[in-house]
Amino acid sequence: MSRTSDPAALERLDIDRFVDWPAPYQYCLTCGLCAGACPVAGIDDFDPRKFVRMVSMGMEEELVEARWPWICTMCGRCDSVCPMEIGISGMVRNIRGMRERDKVPGGLQKGLEQVEKTGNVLGLPKEDFIFIVEDVAEEIAEEPGFSGFKVPIDKEGAFILSTIHNKLINTQNEDLKHLWKIFYAAKEDWTITSDYWEGVNWGLFTGDDRAMRMMVERIILQMDTLKIENLLWPE
Amino acid sequence: MERFGTFTIFDILIKYIKEGRIRLDKSRYAGRRVTYHEPCNYARKSEATFGYGYYEEPRWILSQCVDDWVELQPNRRDQICCGGGGGTLLTGYNEERIRYGERKIRQIRQSGADLTIVPCHSCHGQIKGVKDELGMPDLEVKYLWELVADCLVMEE
Repeated sequence: MSRTSDPAALERLDIDRFVDWPAPYQYCLTCGLCAGACPVAGIDDFDPRKFVRMVSMGMEEELVEARWPWICTMCGRCDSVCPMEIGISGMVRNIRGMRERDKVPGGLQKGLEQVEKTGNVLGLPKEDFIFIVEDVAEEIAEEPGFSGFKVPIDKEGAFILSTIHNKLINTQNEDLKHLWKIFYAAKEDWTITSDYWEGVNWGLFTGDDRAMRMMVERIILQMDTLKIENLLWPE
Repeated sequence: MERFGTFTIFDILIKYIKEGRIRLDKSRYAGRRVTYHEPCNYARKSEATFGYGYYEEPRWILSQCVDDWVELQPNRRDQICCGGGGGTLLTGYNEERIRYGERKIRQIRQSGADLTIVPCHSCHGQIKGVKDELGMPDLEVKYLWELVADCLVMEE
């Protein structure tokens, strides 16, 4: 084996770099159960064992710049088979969170910024949201058995608040109907809200705890304001 | 968070069915071969994070809607990821994502199912999104609550 041609690379190694993470990565046996369980292993030369090894060597720059943490689906199959209970998918999320926000791939970060500004990923104004949901409600009311159907918006004291996935508001309006029809059939006292209706929390994917917290706090704020005791988060 | 009660979609559907608040007609999907795909987040990741995985609840709900449904192999804790997890539907790495879907589609094909039920928006988007390209254009994908809504018996 040849030595590294770049002595600076050796200096960058820092075995204490991630020492405060709860994941016991230093116990990795490189047994390969994770690699066998992983849907991504082999693609782009990814192997969870390599990832764990890089963490244990403190290769922060390489990890943060790599595509690996982003092509991982964080499905947790590695975690469930790992005999040393290392918790690899959580470490992937940590690494994702360390990337500069403007280098987060795809539409995730843009969506989160939109949420912060407008309350939802689509940046949809409140009156457009209300127009869409009422339109869908009218269609439900035309179906046999649902003639009295109405969609409760911002109903104070309702038993359940239900959040909504933005794609159902955006392009898949038909899929709003299923759950609402069940509520109607069950005579549930439910509501949706017109401000912070977004149920999708992309901070989970980008490793952004602050963004996740912001969205959860907004949902809590609405529950407090409308005096609602139960949350259904179908996303 | 203890100030508030929370329901998962499974809790609420089971509650309605057990309390007799909704009635379901099992004949609606009779003759169809149905299977269930479990999302990582409701199953093994929920088990790892919160100490409880929703394995049996969705299966019970499914059994209230259809008599003939089959398991994917492997399943429950060992279920194969659909490939749409972790935000991969939005990272732009689509070639990789479609490739991940191959294992899922093969698993569904081996089950013989023509209708796959999922309780997750990401899994729904992923499986629906790759099925044509991966040779199962006739496979139908439905949300668990969509299946329940389809089976509702309404008065009137």
